[in-house]
Formats: sequence, C-alpha cells, structure tokens
Amino acid sequence: MKLKLAPLLLGALLGTASFQATAHFLVVYTPQTALVRPAELPFHLVFTHAFHGGPTMAMAKPQRFYYAKRSAPGEKIEEVDLSQHLEAIEWASENGPVSAWKATIPRNTVRSLGDYQIVVEPTPYLEEAEGLYIQQFAKVMVNVGGVPGNWNETLGLPAEIHALNKTYANWTGGVFRGVVLGDGIPMPYTQVEVEYLNHALDVDNNRFAEAAAIDAPHPSLEAMVILTNADGEFSFTLPKAGWWGFAALSVGPQTEYEGKPLSQDAILWVQATDLPQ
Amino acid sequence: MKRISMSLLLLIASVLGSSTLQAHTPLFDCFDNGDETLTCEGGFSDGASASGVGVRMVDGQGKVLEQGKLDAKGAITFKRPKGEFSVVFEAGAEHALTVLGDDIV
Repeated sequence: MKLKLAPLLLGALLGTASFQATAHFLVVYTPQTALVRPAELPFHLVFTHAFHGGPTMAMAKPQRFYYAKRSAPGEKIEEVDLSQHLEAIEWASENGPVSAWKATIPRNTVRSLGDYQIVVEPTPYLEEAEGLYIQQFAKVMVNVGGVPGNWNETLGLPAEIHALNKTYANWTGGVFRGVVLGDGIPMPYTQVEVEYLNHALDVDNNRFAEAAAIDAPHPSLEAMVILTNADGEFSFTLPKAGWWGFAALSVGPQTEYEGKPLSQDAILWVQATDLPQ
Repeated sequence: MKRISMSLLLLIASVLGSSTLQAHTPLFDCFDNGDETLTCEGGFSDGASASGVGVRMVDGQGKVLEQGKLDAKGAITFKRPKGEFSVVFEAGAEHALTVLGDDIV
C-alpha cells in the first residue's frame, strides 16, 4: 500500500507545484455569517496574503458576484446577481493603494430565512513574478434565522470546496471538513492551504490592521498546508475564533489564459466562534 | 426469518423517526414588504419543510385577524393590520412561536 501511495502523493505534489502561487487568498469578508434576523450585509473583496495582511494585489472587477439559495426543500436553487452592488475601492498595501471591492447588500435582498452561498468568480490575476494567472473561485456562506438550506450543496464551480460542515456554525476547537473538487471531481492527495485572517480589516480606512492576532513561531504555521485524503476530503481543527481560509490550488480544469498558465483555485471561508463564557 | 426482518425494519424506522423528532426545532420570522403587507417564513432546524404548517395573525386581545398555511416555499403573506398584533407559527403544541407586530420591520 505504501508503494502505491508514495508515487500518487509525489505525483499530486509535483503536478500542482509547477502552477501554484502559494499563500494568495481572495478574502471575502463580512463581519458575521450567522444572523439571527435579516440585516444589511457589508462585504469587502480583497486579494491578498491572508495571514500577513499583505502584500495585497490589485483586483479587477469580478466576472461574477452572486448568491445561490434554495428557498425550501424541493425548490430549485436560485442564483441572484449581486454585481450591481460592487463598488471599487483603493486598499492600502505595502507598495501603495491597490484596487479592491466592497459591496453592501440591502436587507431586502437577503431577508429570507436560510443559507446564502455567496460566490465570487474573479477575473484572472496576472502574477508577473511567477508568469501565471490566478483565478480563485471563492465562497462564503451566510445563514439567516438558523433554518438550514443549501450549505452542503455544490454549485458546479470549476474549482470548489464542498463543505461537510456549515461554515457559519463552528465553535472554536471544532473540526471543519470539506472535499476539494476540480470540475466537480474529488481531488485526492491535493494540497489545501489553511490560513487565519490574522489582521483585522479596518474597513473605515480600507486597510488591514497592523496588529496581528497570532505571532506564529514558524513559517509552516502561517500558511499551513494539509493534504486531502484518497477521497478528496480534508479536516482541520479550528483553534481560534475568527476567519479561517481554505485554498485548494490549481484544481480547476482550465490551465491556460491569454497564453500563460492559469491556476484555478478553490477558496472557502469558515468562521469560528468562541463558546460564551 | 421474514418476521425478524420486518421487526428489525420497524425498529430502525422507529429509532430514526424518534431521533428526527428530537432534533426538530421550529424557526419563524416575518418582515415588512413595504407595501402594507408582511411576509412570514417558517422552517425547522433540521431543514425539514414547513409547507402546510398553520400561521395565524391575532390582535392584542387574541382575536384571530387572519390565518392560513405556509406555501411550498415555507412562506405566507398577510395584509398588515393597524394597531397591536402578533403572528403565531402553529408548529405543534410545544412548537408555537410568536412574532410581535412591533418586531416586524
């Protein structure tokens, strides 16, 4: 068995290493994803390095920004375009301000009970230093009122993480599980980067706070790397309240864009909540 | 052998049925549509449909103003009354939930 696994593992690592631009995370931030009652939803979309709060990359207007919701069992999943709410902003970065996006989703748009899978399908970003494009299909889920909906359903994205736990209902110390999908197929022995959103978003000043929540003693604890198992599943214990980002790199089927390699990545954001004292 | 199999099936069904009931918490909320109507939605914590569950609107004295059942999407729309009122989700004797009119915005 070991003899079979080793080449598989090596192949998976080598196969993805050539395309990967690591530690990039499309942050899709809203302060609270488990809402007791409907409320206006503010979002910030920032393409950055989540653990270090930068450097932040310029982000073109997303190709798509929408939510997918099933209003009741047996009903069809409805996709609602949110792109009219996008507003370009300048986000502070080490080398000066770069473009990012914010959106305020009106309460009336998200007032029904249930799950909202909010999806950002970005325009590919050219990582000049590595000579490749990166396109991170990012999901975050918001629940209103506690009625579960389509949180565990996939949306057919080219690169996607299928949540096996609700992303908005995790106590600190709980285990989050997911499946990495490339073009809908589980991806065995694939790297998943895990990063904590370590610098709070200062949304009044369009920047990350300078203070870090975690001072990691070793690089391997900053952008943590885990592997999916033979069925494409991974699990991770959430050690601290806040936002945890999961990124599966280069799992999408399209590998070229405008004459350069393309990495189609899957991003999923998970919110961990402390037990009340 | 057939009898044993049937008994086993019944046992499994009853165990599954009881565990489903235990995990079944009703959830209910209403919002104002801005056109002198309000819509109420109901559901259950396990994702079960609330279609067909009764909803009644009562005034401050408990008099029923309107009533109906949740539709396939678990929703019902009423005309918003004047004065004090509340809306009751009738999901069983232990499961009735009430939303006060003042909280419906």
